[in-house]
Amino acid sequence: MSETQATTSMQAETPEPVLPMSDIQGIAVPGFLKPHQTLVGVSTPNDPGAVVAFKEFLRGLAGEISTAAETLADRRRFRVAKAAAGPKPPAAKALLGIGFTFQGLQKLTPGAVSLPSEAFRQGLAARSAFLGDPADPADEGNPKNWKVGAPGRDIDVLFIVAGDTRAAVDERAAALAGRIEKAGLQVVYNENGDVREDLPGHEQFGFDDGVSQPGIRGRASDDPNDFVTTRHIAVSAQPERSLFGYPGQDLVWPGVLVLGHPATSPDPLIPGLPSPAVPEWSRNGSYLVFRRLRQDVGLFWRTMRQEAARLAALPGFEDITDVVLASRIVGRWPSGAPVNRVPLADDPDLGAQPLANNHFRFDSDASAIPLQSGYVDKFPQSKADPAGVTCPWAAHIRKVNTRDSGSDTGGRDSSYARRLMRVGVAFGKPLADRYAEPEDDPGHGERGLLFLGIQASIDDQFEFLTARWMGDPSRPKMPGGHDLLVGQNDAPGEGRQRRCVIFGAGVQQASVATDAPWIIPTGGGYFFVPSIAALRDVLGR
Amino acid sequence: MALLNRYDTPAFLPDFNAIPGQLDAWHRAVSAWFDQVIANDQSAFGASPLQYYNAPNFDPGGMAVEQAITWNAFPKEMLRRYGRDRALVLADRLWPTERYGSPSPDPDDTAGTAGVLYRPQEEYCEWHVLRQPDSNKICRVTFSSEPPEYWQAMFGLVPGDPDQHFPGDQDALLRLYRDLVSPDVQLDDLIAAEDVVDTAGQVWALKGQYNSYNKWNTTLGIAHLNSPPNSLVAEIQLGADATVRYTDPRGRLLVEPDALIGYAGYGGSNRNSDPTIGASVNALARLGAYVTLRNPVGLYMDHIDLSGWEAPDKRPIADCVHIVRGVPQMVERMSIEVPASRGFDVGDLTIAGIPIRFGGQIAECITVKLVGIANILPKPISRPPVGNGSRPIVDPFYPRTVGGVSASQPVPPGFAEAYLNQGTVESAVFPEAAAARAKLAAAPGADRGKLSRHGKRRY
Repeated sequence: MSETQATTSMQAETPEPVLPMSDIQGIAVPGFLKPHQTLVGVSTPNDPGAVVAFKEFLRGLAGEISTAAETLADRRRFRVAKAAAGPKPPAAKALLGIGFTFQGLQKLTPGAVSLPSEAFRQGLAARSAFLGDPADPADEGNPKNWKVGAPGRDIDVLFIVAGDTRAAVDERAAALAGRIEKAGLQVVYNENGDVREDLPGHEQFGFDDGVSQPGIRGRASDDPNDFVTTRHIAVSAQPERSLFGYPGQDLVWPGVLVLGHPATSPDPLIPGLPSPAVPEWSRNGSYLVFRRLRQDVGLFWRTMRQEAARLAALPGFEDITDVVLASRIVGRWPSGAPVNRVPLADDPDLGAQPLANNHFRFDSDASAIPLQSGYVDKFPQSKADPAGVTCPWAAHIRKVNTRDSGSDTGGRDSSYARRLMRVGVAFGKPLADRYAEPEDDPGHGERGLLFLGIQASIDDQFEFLTARWMGDPSRPKMPGGHDLLVGQNDAPGEGRQRRCVIFGAGVQQASVATDAPWIIPTGGGYFFVPSIAALRDVLGR
Repeated sequence: MALLNRYDTPAFLPDFNAIPGQLDAWHRAVSAWFDQVIANDQSAFGASPLQYYNAPNFDPGGMAVEQAITWNAFPKEMLRRYGRDRALVLADRLWPTERYGSPSPDPDDTAGTAGVLYRPQEEYCEWHVLRQPDSNKICRVTFSSEPPEYWQAMFGLVPGDPDQHFPGDQDALLRLYRDLVSPDVQLDDLIAAEDVVDTAGQVWALKGQYNSYNKWNTTLGIAHLNSPPNSLVAEIQLGADATVRYTDPRGRLLVEPDALIGYAGYGGSNRNSDPTIGASVNALARLGAYVTLRNPVGLYMDHIDLSGWEAPDKRPIADCVHIVRGVPQMVERMSIEVPASRGFDVGDLTIAGIPIRFGGQIAECITVKLVGIANILPKPISRPPVGNGSRPIVDPFYPRTVGGVSASQPVPPGFAEAYLNQGTVESAVFPEAAAARAKLAAAPGADRGKLSRHGKRRY
């Protein structure tokens, strides 16, 4: 085959790499997307004897960490069972993942210092100010007050136990606890996260979460159709078939999530240079950001109610309610339906339809894409909204994924390169009366999100999105503002006030501003998620 | 009645106020640049009225909506080409003009031969780093978004086709240099003693005229932008070009930033700025709006994000950031320097725990912008699209950057066409657009240059 033929063929076929599914951890590929999780943080003394025991423990555990292959098989079994009629089979065994802080890795290998991530080496607490977290030591969100990962109380290892039922997770977590104890390691953190029983899949403010996850461009075997991320677009619909899993679900090259694999290039259908695997044993590893975010649900909704009432007195905003305002700030209605597709009111049917709920454009009118199943998307299609009149540029979903729009960092590859896989879950009991004052909250405010994000670069993905886009009033694009849902503002002299621009029915502009801290960071850490081989042959040796 | 009486100086800078006739001349020049790019583009893209207007001459009506377009100041092309670690080193250096447009793939190969140097900071924001002679630690970084045309006008001539003449005041120019850059500046330093020509034969300043590449605006300091694509004229030109609707070779309407700029060829594909400026303007034009640039037309630093900045004394760092010219959200010159009373240097400040060792670390925190105006009309304009003038190419085996060839040229061996079948609207197909474009390109006089200095295309 000539060189010209090779390049032509590459353009036409968009070949996808076969991923080493038995070496990559399942939490990274395809990702634990489980409704019940237990996080276990472990510390170990830094004396030679303890380190030997630590290594022995890890060596023994390496074969039990859920691989990408096992996790994908589990997901496929779950989907088959969900679609089948009749009684459901018993819950599968819970999955297990493992990640190490820089401190933990250093105890196991001197090569830890060679990992090129400055963010990872410093750790989450040290980078907290860069993320916009409160600098006041008296503030609950200051690292000094964190429940996990506070300076001086670092953890070495984080275990993630994830399953379909609480019982399955508890069973595996209990077995793990026994082995941890036997190895002489100390559990310094243990917390359960569970999907909301009243609104499965919704975060504590009440919005469907995780609608827009990137898909992974890659195959699980030599079978040309054995895609890790299921394809739903009709084969005839190119380039959409090569760009998306579900309609609107970006397929990213695996190097965006896993080290040592092709990453984003300027052209999304051409594999970029591999994400650096330095040192070599980091190949097939990933980085995991754990952020314990307490959500003050009452404060959020009381503020929404108050701001909506203020805005309703302004021309063009007469019909605004707290739900409308909150949905503009999120970019989706509580059901998950994108406001760009249904600007006036929620449509739960759209929100529940994965073949439609993530399909929209920002800069151009969208149209239905032919699907493999023959399903026809008859919901209203999104209309061009380049200035953010319908979905504000400060809306959370627009801040973290600019889709077809340009951004302050150029074209579409900027957004592809920032994507991360979210595998976290809610914690705490939902607040029944969402406007409740603190004294009427039976849960004493202890609810929120155990945010877990997989990526190949903490610096360029999680931190960039958090500090440069969510926390900046004019990035990625204007007229914008801060991401009021999750963003922070630590600009000098601004009193942590976040503000954004929204538009009224007649394209009137109004500003929404608040210093109410309804997202409070209360812990977390930066972790390296090694390959199975690295765990067994490097860290465990 | 026109929407605007007069074009003001960028950020309403006051230097022209005391020069008789200078403000009027500036207005006439900016207006002429608008008129010229509109005429050129109408000629190049067909006779239908361009959706771009010169505000003092034309009121399109409708509802005027401002659209600020922002981008990061650190040159993305260097990030793509060399990776961040090396890009930080290289971006602080001056580059030989021969390298402009064809940088070496070797990150160490930046040697010049003719001594015409420019700052390779192609995002309409440039900086100069001053270091302590004994420790090499950074003591000041000065950023500028001032267009070269403003400084040329103060001298008396903005070269172009045609030249724009101004009353000028060379003493005022000298005073400004001395105020901003060094008291040692002499007028002769600012004037080309001979034509300034590089080894490629490119003329960068004419004998007897103001020389933007003088030592006080290159090796010894910074007065204004001097990277070839960084100019006010380029901003006006890009805005005009981006109001045109383009199709890909199959006649499908281009809508996404990368494919648009790659096939339209209206700017630098590898930059932060041009793809997003072009796509933002194009999106408004596709809505049927008329578009222009807000007065005062200029390129501005919007703000600097100080998240994660820390001083060794743990005190706030706001007093280390100085807006020297312009105002917040419309900053033309800014310096980062620690007050002497605090007893340390810029190099002792940290961003996310990392000491500042390069000016580029600060540039990463700076947002640059321009502001457009879209006139949303009751009856949107539907200008017929034109075909692609360019063809984006990428080396599929080393795909760091996107290049381009003319639409009529084949893809060179070893390259692949980038964004093939991407970035378009499936339902909007205009098979006649490419043929119409080809016909225009073949017409007599089709080889119209863009507004340029000394005939050089300014992208």
